[in-house]
Amino acid sequence: MTPLLEVKDLKTRFFTQDGVVHAVNGISYTLDEGETLGIVGESGCGKSVSVLSVMRLIPEPPGRIVGGEVLLEGQDLLKMSPNEIRRVRGNRIAMIFQDPMTSLNPVLTIGRQVSEALELHMGMDKVQARRRTIELLEMVGIPQAADRFDDYPHQFSGGMRQRVMIAMALSCNPQILIADEPTTALDVTIQAQFIELVKRLRDEIGMAVIWITHNLGIIAGLAEKVIVMYAGYIVERAGVKDVYGDPRHPYTIGLLESLPRLDEVRKERLISIEGLPPDLIDLQPGCPFYPRCSYRIDRCQEEMPPLEPVELDHEIACWVDVKQ
Amino acid sequence: MAEREEWAPPWWDYWLGFCRRFARNRLAVVGLILALAMFGVGIFAPWLAPHSYAEQNLDAVEQPPSWTYPLGTDELGRDQLSRLIWGARTAVIVAPTVTLLWVVLGVLMGALAGYLGGRVETVIMRLADILFAFPGLLFAMLISATIQPRTEAWMKGITGLRELVRAGYVEFFVVILALSLVGWGGLARLVRGQFLSLKEEEFVLAARAIGVSTWGIIRRHILPNALAPIIVSISMGMGGAITAEATLSFLGIGIQPPTPSWGAMIFDNYTFWRRPFPVAFRLLWLPGLIIAAMRFAFNFLGDGLNEALSPGR
Repeated sequence: MTPLLEVKDLKTRFFTQDGVVHAVNGISYTLDEGETLGIVGESGCGKSVSVLSVMRLIPEPPGRIVGGEVLLEGQDLLKMSPNEIRRVRGNRIAMIFQDPMTSLNPVLTIGRQVSEALELHMGMDKVQARRRTIELLEMVGIPQAADRFDDYPHQFSGGMRQRVMIAMALSCNPQILIADEPTTALDVTIQAQFIELVKRLRDEIGMAVIWITHNLGIIAGLAEKVIVMYAGYIVERAGVKDVYGDPRHPYTIGLLESLPRLDEVRKERLISIEGLPPDLIDLQPGCPFYPRCSYRIDRCQEEMPPLEPVELDHEIACWVDVKQ
Repeated sequence: MAEREEWAPPWWDYWLGFCRRFARNRLAVVGLILALAMFGVGIFAPWLAPHSYAEQNLDAVEQPPSWTYPLGTDELGRDQLSRLIWGARTAVIVAPTVTLLWVVLGVLMGALAGYLGGRVETVIMRLADILFAFPGLLFAMLISATIQPRTEAWMKGITGLRELVRAGYVEFFVVILALSLVGWGGLARLVRGQFLSLKEEEFVLAARAIGVSTWGIIRRHILPNALAPIIVSISMGMGGAITAEATLSFLGIGIQPPTPSWGAMIFDNYTFWRRPFPVAFRLLWLPGLIIAAMRFAFNFLGDGLNEALSPGR
């Protein structure tokens, strides 16, 4: 079965006055229909830039996608004309962002904003779009949707705004939903509600989801496949059970160790990974995790390890197999 | 999943707040009243003016105020009150038209410069800079003086437009053109600044993510957010347009007699400053004061709008 989305060796750089920022350095993954992929990593590792590259929303100066292919059902999105890619955005791939406060235009009613995609891609007129929008708002759990159609974003709470964003994203029945840290700005109880909502809608529509977060806890209950990113590279790629149960890359191990656990005896200090992520302008040859790695060998400093399988459907980019 | 019901303020709540904030500024309210008065008088001039503005009564030259001529007559026996009233009509024709053209040009240029950046921005901003470097009124004079006779000749040649020439509308056309070409730079700069910052907003990214085109984003997403300073500019611009037209007419290159314009009236009557005060006041000071008053009115109105539109002062 051909995967729905195939990202092959994607490279994105930002050409700034201070130098060239190597934001994404050759990542590859696939996404099947209906599959949920989690992308985890710390701030600045390239998670957002990589999905923005897929949607071709990278600001052209100073950024540029310098290599790779992004195949949506076989068609390379990177080679499409601006008109063609605009027909994909919102229509076949939809995206929701982190901050619900700023993702909505403050001077337009939310009804107008949700209808926009419907009018644009489904060719609906204002009346049809209004009807469908109200349906969508009800679907995402906005009470009294018909009345709230004409309300402005400031009249909604953060959690409700994020639901409006989902309604906007799902309005044209996209094949893929990309969620870039959508719950980071919400408080925990609302987070839980939101995730339940996305799961329910995903199962009802049969949509593939790419969920980006730095919160490992969320991915555990949500994703089937996980990619761990660091400094623009994929360092581990596996099914969710393997990543949590049997992490093999030193970075992943470090991440999981740093999480406090309920069933642990309380220690004095939390374990963290020493050091800081590398400067993406000055990327040294070799593995970017080298300075912080407890398992490093000389080879790590010289050559960047490719992503290779250590088990079935479990790949890491490391010269060392920590199991040995 | 039970959701707590949220009380939403009704849609007119914002406008109520707007009116309240505006009303707090007394000068702005006065400005609004004066502006409305000008428009009222200008629109209803044919019905309000007791006499025609061009009708000369050489038997009643330079009369003091009387029942027939409430503000007296000028040196050609024309009724001063009627001329002032019709002068308002000229202002009402010229000012909004100039301001409209000027706003359309300024906003369009500013939006394109701000959103697209790159070479487009450089070209547009340099153009605006060049216009800034010219003394505005001199430039308008230049355009007026050179285009006017040619436009008149050209319009006479076209049958339909000959009527307009006779009615004295050529100068309107030329003056409006000249003033609007000169004045759009400031607004373009303002709008460009707005667009530069607004295009970085996340809702613009979200709109692009659902596939809205560049033009759609400018028109439906960014522009409504940039309206406040534009609206204020419109008000200030009206005041500026009235003064500019008056200046041009005063210099003799704007509206030509017998078409009444407050500036032209000053031009016609400026020798009267030597005359006794009552005469001078009626014929010379009054049009001048009215021009100044309207300028103040629109400025205060603009200030008031500025305050009222930004609730988070």
